[in-house]
This record gives sequence, C-alpha cells and structure tokens, in this order.
Amino acid sequence: MFDTMEVLASGLSAARLRVNVLASNVANAETTRTPEGGPYKRKDVVQVAQPVPGSFGAALDGMSLSRPQVQAVIEDQSDPRMVFQPGHPDADENGYVGYPNISVVTTMTDLMSATRLYQANVNALDSAKQMMAAANQISLRG
Amino acid sequence: MGIDKLLGPTIEGLERLLDLSWRRGQAINANIANAETPQYRAVDLDFGRELDEAFGSKSSSLEKTSPLHQDIGGSSDAKLVSDLSGATKMDGNNVDLDLQMGRLAYNTLTYTRAAALTQKKLGGLSEKIRQLVA
Repeated sequence: MFDTMEVLASGLSAARLRVNVLASNVANAETTRTPEGGPYKRKDVVQVAQPVPGSFGAALDGMSLSRPQVQAVIEDQSDPRMVFQPGHPDADENGYVGYPNISVVTTMTDLMSATRLYQANVNALDSAKQMMAAANQISLRG
Repeated sequence: MGIDKLLGPTIEGLERLLDLSWRRGQAINANIANAETPQYRAVDLDFGRELDEAFGSKSSSLEKTSPLHQDIGGSSDAKLVSDLSGATKMDGNNVDLDLQMGRLAYNTLTYTRAAALTQKKLGGLSEKIRQLVA
C-alpha cells in the first residue's frame, strides 16, 4: 500500500540531490582553485531505476515498479577550459588559467527542469495522500 | 440472504475500480519519480476487461471443461504494460512528465469518486438497516 509513497520519496530525494549538484556546478563555474588542486570539476549524478521488491506484477510478467536511486556523484574528467590571463594567481607558466568545464546556461536549464521534477513529485505525493484520505472516509455513516 | 445480494453488483465493481485505480496510480507515480532516470521505460496498468466483468456485464469466472481445473477466482488479470506514449529521449528514457501528470489527476479523481460512491452506497444501506430496526 505504501509502495507508492516510497517510490515518490525516492523521486524527491533524487531530484533534490540533482538540484544540489547542479547548484554547486553553477556556483563554482569560475572556481580555479580547489583543495585537491586544479580548477573545480563539474559533478554529475548517476541515477538508476531500482525495482521495488514485492511490487505487483513482478512475479507475473517480469515488469515491476521502480524507484530512482542515485548510485554515485561523479566528477567530469575532461580538460579544463584554458583562458589566457597572465597575472592571475592561478595562471600557468604560459599565462593560461584553467577554468571548470561548465556551461552556466546549460546548467541553469538543467536546474530548472530538476526543480520542475521535484515539484511534480510533490504534486504526485499530494494526490497519493488525497487518495488515501478518500479511502479513509469510506465508512458506514452516510 | 448473503450480504452480496443486499449490496448488488455495484459494490463489487466499485471495489475493483478502487483497487485498479490505486494500482494505476502506483504505476504513474513510479513514472513521475523516474522522469529523469536514464534508460527508464514508462509503465502503465492495463485494466483489460476486468472492470466490465466486475460490474456484472460478463462473467469473470473461466469455464471449466475438466473437473481437474482449479478455480482461479479472485486473481486479477490487470497487468503492468509498457507505456509507449512518450517519445524516447537521448538518455533512453521515455517518460512524458506532462502526460503522466494529466493521467495522475484523472486517476486521482476516479479513485476519490469511486471512494465517495462506495461510501454513499454503504451509507444508504446502513440507513435502510436503521429504518428496519427502528
């Protein structure tokens, strides 16, 4: 009965993590120095669909309900964007500064769609609650 | 006289509708939760003819042609099917979020309406009993 709440809660948690990671990418789009050395590396979320054990249909036809799960947050391994800025404290011997490989515009659109997905999950959770409340109201008192 | 006779076929149909729309809601919710999961394929619940049968237009019991056949009453033939209504995106995901939200709204209304009707039906019955007893 509460399968659906669990699935949506996983959706909320995955969407929130995605928003956090994207926000970190936007905020650090110009960060040239990190504790690990070098510029900030863009982070991406690896999300997989995990079948919900015991959900209906699983035994019958091999299809089952899945909940999203974030398996890992990985770092982009591509080379930094080199900008000629001699005199910058992080410039190399040729005067180039490595900037993170982040397109702020793309990240912002991703952020908007992640936020929208979070809201969709909230709305879906709300309807699940409505349905449960309707079931609770079935009683013998007319 | 069994309680089924008092309630008629409507209550059985409503019960089925509640069950099926709840399960359809589960499928739609799973799609919404996985709207951004790469490789996820959308699912839907196929009611089949189950609702018609529950409302009494057709018999849901299978014909037994051998005494060895087992009664499968109570099992459901509604099953999860692939939902191919959305376009597959670059990451292999085919959930159309707007479509799913629309279906969810419709499904929630169906469920709450069925619940309200069930309550009316039961309320009417208990009113009748009250009048008979009084």
